[in-house]
Amino acid sequence: MYGGGYIFEESKNGKSEAEDSEKLERFESKIAAGEKIEPSDWMPAEYRKQLIRMIEQHAHSEIIGALPEGTWITRAPGFRRKLALMAKVQDEVGHAQLLYSAAETLGKPREDMINDLITGKSKYSNVFNYPAVTWADTAIIAWLIDAGAIINQVANSKGSYGPYCRALERICVEESFHLKYGHDNVVFLATGTPKQRDMVQEALIRWWPPIMHFFGPSDKISVHTETLMRWKVKMASNDDMRQKFLDMYVPKIWELGLTIPDPLLKKNETTGQWEYTEPDWNEFKKVINGDGPCNKERLAVRRNAEEKGEWVRRALMRKDERYTVPFA
Amino acid sequence: MNGINDFTEIQTEAAKNLLYRLADDQLILGHRNSECTGLGPILEEDIAFSSMAQDKLGHSQALYQLLHNMGEKDPDTIAFTRKVNEYKCCHLVEYPIGEYDFSLMRHFLFDMSEAIRFNMLSSSSFEPLAKIARKFKGELKYHTMHAVTWINQLGTGSGESPFRIQKSLDVCFPLALGIFEPSKYEETLISEKIFFGEKALQEKWLEAVIPVLKNAGLVIPDIENVTAAYGGREGIHTEYLKPLIDEMTEVYKIDTGAEW
Amino acid sequence: MSIKSIDPRITRENLSDVADQNPIKELNHWQTYEVFHQTKKGDHHIHVGSLHAPNAEMALILAKEQYARRYECVNIWVVKSSNVFTSDYDDEDIFETTPEKMYREAGGYKVMEKINKYKKERKGV
Ligand SMILES: [Fe+2]
Ligand SMILES: [Fe+2]
Repeated sequence: MYGGGYIFEESKNGKSEAEDSEKLERFESKIAAGEKIEPSDWMPAEYRKQLIRMIEQHAHSEIIGALPEGTWITRAPGFRRKLALMAKVQDEVGHAQLLYSAAETLGKPREDMINDLITGKSKYSNVFNYPAVTWADTAIIAWLIDAGAIINQVANSKGSYGPYCRALERICVEESFHLKYGHDNVVFLATGTPKQRDMVQEALIRWWPPIMHFFGPSDKISVHTETLMRWKVKMASNDDMRQKFLDMYVPKIWELGLTIPDPLLKKNETTGQWEYTEPDWNEFKKVINGDGPCNKERLAVRRNAEEKGEWVRRALMRKDERYTVPFA
Repeated sequence: MNGINDFTEIQTEAAKNLLYRLADDQLILGHRNSECTGLGPILEEDIAFSSMAQDKLGHSQALYQLLHNMGEKDPDTIAFTRKVNEYKCCHLVEYPIGEYDFSLMRHFLFDMSEAIRFNMLSSSSFEPLAKIARKFKGELKYHTMHAVTWINQLGTGSGESPFRIQKSLDVCFPLALGIFEPSKYEETLISEKIFFGEKALQEKWLEAVIPVLKNAGLVIPDIENVTAAYGGREGIHTEYLKPLIDEMTEVYKIDTGAEW
Repeated sequence: MSIKSIDPRITRENLSDVADQNPIKELNHWQTYEVFHQTKKGDHHIHVGSLHAPNAEMALILAKEQYARRYECVNIWVVKSSNVFTSDYDDEDIFETTPEKMYREAGGYKVMEKINKYKKERKGV
């Protein structure tokens, strides 16, 4: 799952390197015509770089995203929830696998991406740096963070890079289970005993600011992405996705009688736009740069998993064989 | 062929005892293995191992459901509210996940026994159990394929791998023999053809696992000099079970009257 | 000091709370395999993605769960990515063909007119 908070590098309008202008023109006209770009196609170096960056961040978000919900895997109440949570977290690991594969087709091996993740060189979605304090947090995450992720992923699945689109298509099918499971879980808590209701209300209060951060800074203040949008790398503006999310889910939250901790939140009926308190973008920046409540733990856990798996990978390595890039 | 209502009191008791043993094993091992989800050694294996943990939990749920049909409480209540000494799982499944070699070796030794056990049970005179056993067949087949492939490859792998696998075998073997701890109902189960008995199962299990272990280049522990870890079937458990149950039931117990 | 997490699984790992900034040396690369699945007998196998595995046997075991745990499937193939040879997208135009190849289309053969003309002529005899 991933939002729109991609950390793109300052784009240089596609003119970073002296690209063959004829090839660039052909490339751009292909994309404009709705054609997909495949791994062996010619592509501007900047396109490759930004795509690797984005798909890699997405993949990291899936594997790190398995951790907040995984927090409650051993404590899920009852068979139905226990099995569903396991299947859900497992899917997220599967998504990471699919996305790392998609990024690999652009020439960066999975292991290099993982090293960039655990050394803090490469980012992942900000929301996963917050803790799942109670069981109810997992319900809110599975419902609302996954809902946000779906909005982003559906948009991206119409992007220009073939392998990424194919991975997203499969991912989106599984996400619809996550969303339903999350909603079901929230509904049970919200309509349950007073204790359950308190739990889910508190979790919603905790998660609302990260949810508002999820789609990334307002387009007014974020890195210019015109070229990336023309190249169909970035498919929707952060603000548009946030509006879409609010439009779809605020009514569903309110119908459960839950309170969203933003007194300014309302739909302006004349503009059709949601109005809200501007999220704290300094906090967003602070957390993305490593200083959130769980950054250190998340990276330490991932590093540990890799290090503990090292002997397993080494045991079955064939020295005479070289790694190859997946072809699609 | 027997249904639930065709049993005498002692037969019912024997069948229930068997079901508790099987279901508790699967619940506790499924729970243990679920701890690896999201933390596995390689993404692809993380996914495979999680599926098999889910299968185990699913199997325990089906077996508890059969117990429920025989008049016991519902599966969630059975799984999440009993006292520690009421669980009838063997010690093997209680141990912490440890390093991956331990988890894999336990998975291999346990699932080989499961595959044989449920294969035997698919011709049980107790039809509802036979039906469940037949349903598990495909999943268990994958589990053993997975386990055999891993043990074989790691046992003959490079670096510290063979040493690790051998060490895990040495630790797991006496624990695994505890799977076959006979109950006081063995005679009834065998004479009523509900189950062929733990002794028969252990023999078949040895016949199945020893060639695989040998093929993987491992030294088989001398069975005559190994003390099987018994006690679990009688409710006497290792120090690891109580914290596991406490953790597993933490949320469930916040509000036992609640629907989660 | 070790990390005390809300997740009991993590606390049990006893991880140091001093962040390690170094990359893992020698992160090993396994081989890449392409995965094909068949939904039902009689259908073609279809490419569904790729995975990392040390050998074909393991690739099959791992592909089963990553690519077929949720979908109908009766058979999987795995092929080492390095063993797949592909045509070049730069040569895409070799697949373009002139439309005037009616000689190999069913629609290129229309004889009813001839038959009808022949029948008419015979009637006249
Ligand atoms: Fe996902
Ligand atoms: Fe998801």
